[in-house]
Amino acid sequence: MSETWMIAGAWLSAGLTIAIFSFLYKDNPFFKIAEHLYLGAGMGWLFQVSVFSVWGPKIWTPVSHGDWLVIIPSLMGISLLTQFIPKLSWISRYGFTFIMGYGSGLAIPATLSTDFMSQILGTVQPLSLMASMSPFAIFNALLVAFGVICVLFYFFFSVEHKGHFQKVSNIGIYFLMVYFGAAFGNTVMARFSLLYGRFDSLYASSSARNFYATQIILAGMVIYFVLHSFFGKKGPAEGEAAH
Amino acid sequence: MKFIKKTIPLLIVFVVGVLSLISYYVPHKTSVNFIELMSKWENIVSAFAFLLGLISLFFSHYHKISRKVDGWGYSIFVFIGFFAIIIPAILNHGKSMTAAGPTSLGWAYSSIYTALSGTMFAVLAFYIVSTAYRSFRIKSKQAFVLFVAAFVLILGKVPLGQIIWTSVLGWTHVTVSTVIDWIMTVPAVAGKRGIMIGIAIGAIVTSFKIIFGIERQYLGKD
Amino acid sequence: MLKENLQKFFKIDRRWIFLLLAVCIFVPIMKPLGLPNKTIAPETKRVYDYIEKLPPGSFVLFSLDYDPSTRPELHPMATAIVKHAFRKNLRVGVVTYIPGATGMIEEIFETVGKEYNKTDGKDYVIFPYMPNIVAAMTQMASDIYGMYPMDRNGRDTRTMPVLDGIKNYKNVSFVVCITGTAILDYWVAYVGDKYSVPVAGGVTAISQPGYGPYLQTGQLKGLLGGMKGAAEYESLIQSPGKGTSGIDALNLGHLLVLALILTSNIIILIVKFL
Repeated sequence: MSETWMIAGAWLSAGLTIAIFSFLYKDNPFFKIAEHLYLGAGMGWLFQVSVFSVWGPKIWTPVSHGDWLVIIPSLMGISLLTQFIPKLSWISRYGFTFIMGYGSGLAIPATLSTDFMSQILGTVQPLSLMASMSPFAIFNALLVAFGVICVLFYFFFSVEHKGHFQKVSNIGIYFLMVYFGAAFGNTVMARFSLLYGRFDSLYASSSARNFYATQIILAGMVIYFVLHSFFGKKGPAEGEAAH
Repeated sequence: MKFIKKTIPLLIVFVVGVLSLISYYVPHKTSVNFIELMSKWENIVSAFAFLLGLISLFFSHYHKISRKVDGWGYSIFVFIGFFAIIIPAILNHGKSMTAAGPTSLGWAYSSIYTALSGTMFAVLAFYIVSTAYRSFRIKSKQAFVLFVAAFVLILGKVPLGQIIWTSVLGWTHVTVSTVIDWIMTVPAVAGKRGIMIGIAIGAIVTSFKIIFGIERQYLGKD
Repeated sequence: MLKENLQKFFKIDRRWIFLLLAVCIFVPIMKPLGLPNKTIAPETKRVYDYIEKLPPGSFVLFSLDYDPSTRPELHPMATAIVKHAFRKNLRVGVVTYIPGATGMIEEIFETVGKEYNKTDGKDYVIFPYMPNIVAAMTQMASDIYGMYPMDRNGRDTRTMPVLDGIKNYKNVSFVVCITGTAILDYWVAYVGDKYSVPVAGGVTAISQPGYGPYLQTGQLKGLLGGMKGAAEYESLIQSPGKGTSGIDALNLGHLLVLALILTSNIIILIVKFL
């Protein structure tokens, strides 16, 4: 890639980024164009990866070497597409039932072992090691066990919330709230990180080497909004979406 | 006809499901060979699933263009975006990087796809802030507990927050990282584990229902 | 009067808040605050220690399953751990089940591979994208080459020096999955638990609290969470990157959210008593 292409890339990247951010001010044609490009480009990437990584080496190459067996799953895969033809859509069941059967068959033992048995063991096991634990560790182990029981009460005895049952399941809600609170706190960080990523890219595009792509595109966008507010008609698609 | 339309598909889900389940516990060569073959097939069948999304996206935007419905011009950009990736992919045989650096496909990936995909999700940062301002209300004891956990996490994950914690609560000799560690390893584990066990039971029951043909909504209507 | 004035705060055009956030994140990018991450979470340290203990030549399998939408959090993590693996002269294999990841995987190995003078096929191998996670994981248990007879460039994997002596999970010393999806759960359930392969992860901050139970039971050997996890790992390997600069840029933003939540709730409290 030549230097010119890299600069063009910085302009394109900054332009598309600002076009999407412009929605925060108001819905506008630039955002709509970027949004539609995103759908197309996303599908394009998925399509090309599937063609070059799976269809080619996993179907075309074996068939061209005489391994005809791969035609069976390929036909089952293609059968999924009969979904679009109402009269023939039953054919897609051959593909779907295979996917569901395989997935369910393997999910049962894996879920049972990983998310059920191991979790019960993980709750109970620390209690058997109390002799070698510090008082605080014992307290924590008991709290985890107590919390798990309360949360399960909340889920599984939701119909009979009376008396002691209600108290226990109410305590379960507090444990869930701590979990959701932690998740919310971390969500803030996650979302800001993504914003940082795009701003960092805009900052890179703003350099003299990239001929101030960010500043010029941003200025162009501001001029568009100013002119639009003076001369533009307010169409139904261009309401203030940011409110 | 019912046999072909319904019975055979239900037999497929039952036979494949039961044999896959058994294969998990039986390390016999026949069982291993069977699950190997099924895995290879499953991988190929799945490789066609995304076409459902691709075709319906193309149909819907093609119709918008051909019928010239409101905003049909934007639909053209779906196809432009698609070919902006596909054409360089064909030219470079799907390679985005060579020893000489990124190809035109790699260029399209970083300039178009990364910019669009990254920004679409980055926009959510703005909404989480305005939601926090407008809707985060501490109206009950439970909401207060949620707030405290969120507050500690938001504060303690960044260095400036850690400095503030130390200057205000330094006298307790408990660092904010210790508190976060405790939240994540004790009460949050209890909360999540309860959810996990609940979901596991639900998932196992649903999987059995699928294998035995009790749950068959995914088959569609007759 | 005061009550009405206070209530006006809730009717403020939210675009002002958007602008405030943009300033809080953008300004530290232009002028870093110089407040890098200093604390290291124990679960991050455990990943570092595990790799540190592996003898040179051990085979580490990376499952890099993130697309550009989570790049700022996960790409620095992946880069840092791959750097660490190369520094320790470990053999590296890469799989992915997210199509959008392929471009970023190439990027990592183009830069980090060159930095540590590592050769494709000899020191590392990048396998092609596969659409079904469970199928690929199950197949690899008996024969990796059954699922991956070729690398992403169509070269025969059986003859590659990097895969010398590698047949299935028994020969894999460590699995590291970096993802913004539930793919790490699959590694734990279908590989870690079943075949006793040590599995560690790197996830977005959003999903980090959900992995507490797996960490407590030891089903996960360690975990990097979000931008902070990336910054922590970068400081452990003493190679600051986008994670380190990222956490510096988040300082003001985090305080802004706290200030907004507190302000709105204090206003409500005052209005209630007026």
